[in-house]
Amino acid sequence: MRKLPWVFIAVLLSLPAAAQDAAPGVQDVATDAPRAAPAFAAAASDVSARTLDEEVQELKQLAVDLNRDLFLLEEELLFPASTQVAIFVSMDVGEFFALDSVEIKLDDKDVTNYLYTEREVDALHRGGVQRVYVGNLRAGEHELVAFFTGEGTYERDYRRGATITFEKGIGPKFIELTISDEEDKLQPVFLVREWE
Amino acid sequence: MRVIGRQFGVALLVASGLVSAAAAALAGTAAPDFVLKGVNGRNFRLSEYRGQVVLLSFGASWCGDCRSQLEELGELYDRYAGAGLEMVAISLDRDFDDVADTAAQLDTGFPTLHDAGGATAELYQVNRMPYVVLIDQDGIVRDEFTGFSKGEGSRYVDQARTLLAE
Repeated sequence: MRKLPWVFIAVLLSLPAAAQDAAPGVQDVATDAPRAAPAFAAAASDVSARTLDEEVQELKQLAVDLNRDLFLLEEELLFPASTQVAIFVSMDVGEFFALDSVEIKLDDKDVTNYLYTEREVDALHRGGVQRVYVGNLRAGEHELVAFFTGEGTYERDYRRGATITFEKGIGPKFIELTISDEEDKLQPVFLVREWE
Repeated sequence: MRVIGRQFGVALLVASGLVSAAAAALAGTAAPDFVLKGVNGRNFRLSEYRGQVVLLSFGASWCGDCRSQLEELGELYDRYAGAGLEMVAISLDRDFDDVADTAAQLDTGFPTLHDAGGATAELYQVNRMPYVVLIDQDGIVRDEFTGFSKGEGSRYVDQARTLLAE
């Protein structure tokens, strides 16, 4: 007896679908009625599949958001703003230099030696900025030395260093290493910039 | 003598068990990422090959089996490269020239990398050569093979084909 209202609702729900199918010709109602049920089932399964897909996408988005939050939290814990120093690499044109690797020393201590693949160099050429190093430094004066290795003009092996002495305050310190071109001399130029 | 022989046999079994346990330690885990310099001057980063099946072969120029293996893999490479199988030889030689000479002699068609400091071999727990690691499209180590005998290359490729079909 308790199932009866549900059967009634199901019949009511199936009526519009049957009516839609029957719309082109009234005389087809009798023949279309059996066809309406599978059509309704297909539409219902389509809707449920879409809903499921939306739910999966929502869950994926939630997982991505959660992962990002965790990453930020981890970064804040590992590299607090008061001691954080981050070094970035970017490229401005860079026609006279094919980058192979960047070696970075902070206060005469090797902190990273990064080898670049073709895809990474291509990404830099297209305007990408890479965070090559993030670490902690106490407040005070520090020295950064960066060695760029690669191929210069006329396919010659090229290794050039760039140095900067910077003051680390209480806030995070961002340093950008930019590879640029000096067109007059057909030489690459390596610039170091500080960002607060 | 019999007792000594038995003890030796047990020790051998234990030892071989330990070796295989060590060799199979990576199966089912994410393949450690690395970047190495190739003899062609290009740098190779494993994570850039996600979505392809990757076969890593660790060896050295002085290892005869390694050379035979690379020769056989070189013959198979042309056939399967287009299907999404990437092969990479990783040489543990100290001298870069030895790596470059061997790569030029064998002319395998796939990249030969120089693991100069042995850091990548350490990541992959290489304790015997040749040592082959098969990595699936999701970057998971699926199979490991140590040693080599003629004709074994097709076994790796059969396994790689299974991974490609997944």
